[in-house]
Amino acid sequence: MSLTVALSKGKLLAGSEALFRRAGLPFPDGEGRKLVVPSGDLRFLFVKDMDVPTYVEYGVADCGIAGRDVLLETGADVLEPLDLGFGRCRLVVASPAGSGFAPDRSATTRVASKYARVAAAHFLGRGLAVEVVKLAGSVEIAPGLGLADCIVDVVETGRTLAENGLEVQETVAESSACLVVNRASFHARREEVRRLVEALRGALR
Amino acid sequence: MNGTHRLAQIPPGVQCFVGEEARRRRLVEEAVVSVFEGWDYEEIIPPLFDYADVFSGEALAPKTYSFVGRDGNVLALRPDFTSLVAKIAAGRLRDRPAPMRLFYSGEVVRYEPVKAGRQSELHQMGLEHLGGDARAADAEVLAIAAECLDRLGARGFVLALGHVGVFGGLVAGTGLDAERLEALRERVESKDPEGVRQALEGAAVPAATTVALERLTAMAGGLEALDEAARAFDFCAPAAAAVAELRAVASALRAAGLADRLAVDLGEVRGLDYYTGLVFRAFAPGLGFEVGGGGRYDTLLARFGRPLPAVGFMLGLDRVALLLERQGATSKSAPAPALAIHGGELGAALAEARRKRADGARVRFGNGGAR
Repeated sequence: MSLTVALSKGKLLAGSEALFRRAGLPFPDGEGRKLVVPSGDLRFLFVKDMDVPTYVEYGVADCGIAGRDVLLETGADVLEPLDLGFGRCRLVVASPAGSGFAPDRSATTRVASKYARVAAAHFLGRGLAVEVVKLAGSVEIAPGLGLADCIVDVVETGRTLAENGLEVQETVAESSACLVVNRASFHARREEVRRLVEALRGALR
Repeated sequence: MNGTHRLAQIPPGVQCFVGEEARRRRLVEEAVVSVFEGWDYEEIIPPLFDYADVFSGEALAPKTYSFVGRDGNVLALRPDFTSLVAKIAAGRLRDRPAPMRLFYSGEVVRYEPVKAGRQSELHQMGLEHLGGDARAADAEVLAIAAECLDRLGARGFVLALGHVGVFGGLVAGTGLDAERLEALRERVESKDPEGVRQALEGAAVPAATTVALERLTAMAGGLEALDEAARAFDFCAPAAAAVAELRAVASALRAAGLADRLAVDLGEVRGLDYYTGLVFRAFAPGLGFEVGGGGRYDTLLARFGRPLPAVGFMLGLDRVALLLERQGATSKSAPAPALAIHGGELGAALAEARRKRADGARVRFGNGGAR
């Protein structure tokens, strides 16, 4: 049976493909909308980025590529043996530019985010009262419309933030793409997993 | 709350098994118990609940369902067997000479989010080896774990060995505060060398220790990882001693024909806080989570007033049943079809059914004797 690799259909896809090709590993060629695609001695699953850690944690995929931002948010119990270096971004707190953002200790800060767990942990960890408004996307518009005081989201260039009148207040975490491996596969399919990890490691140099 | 809704629903985290499924679980339990008895372990049936402070370990206490008894004592449903067995061995069985070999099979209850194959109600089958020679007991317990999985027909399983003294030895005396230590442990567990480096940034830890902790994330795989570890950690006596212990146990198991079943995972540093030495987890292809595990706990019994070294392990019945199903290894367990017994007269029919039963037949007694 071949190893199963879970990849995100989102922003990490191009970097993942480039890495697999550089490593001389199989990668599907333009299979269109198919979500489960065998290629060479691997089988690929194309899923939503937030779901990659889940597929790997449950062992449905033996390994996968996920951003650290997503690993933090899902809290999945997976191995992270290799930082892949691409997909660099920051998870930040952002609020309306020039608002002199200072979460007030006596009031509840309302935070809109796709990263509900990360956002809650960030504010609660500093002793602040927080109400997290979980959104699935377009988080940047929330403060302007009065849905939230600030947002927690990923930024690469900061352009989307600026276009929506937001500025970065603080960095919550740095993120980059990471190879994740299921704990049981790591041992029960040791040789195959080791070969894959070494091939990818070789392609990073 | 609407009554019909309550009747149809069961709370998340508990399960109900009927017929074939229940039967399959029973067969798994019987197979495992027969292995335990084959190694001369005696059954212990501990109480379903006890005083809450029996389970006061840092890892278990927050997961314990506790309640106040009529007499005002705080009680808790058992979240674990090991603490209970330790208490009974140190209390009621204190006059029994060591070593004691005890096994159990039953449910424990824990507050757990239902996730990754984990329920609140878990059926554990396990044993505890209390007292006796530590290396011999460690090797025995691993051999029993392997025999159980073999007997059940699980394919391709491995027992991944670690030792809490490796990580513990490396961080001892570094003066890392609890918060940083926890972050470090978490990164070692994830086998994330980059994360280990970051967790140690700015800490006054000797360079050799930092390098060793990073390398710990990669010390997993075949038994050769133990040779590498022996060289890498020779600067740190407690870590080197832990590796030497593992090598002694591994070499005994290799001599006993179990080399193929062994793996090494020195980065496996989590687990219940009462572990003090060798720890292991069982994995098999087809299931993304461990099917069981165990380890040495040399200080737990002292808490109950009878200092004795001890080692134990358990298999999760739910996980084992799921694994066997995934691997297609569940036995065709359906019993022979029952003999239908009908009759004109109830007394005569019942007498006939009893005769057949005495001959060992499986019978289905007709509806009041009518056809």
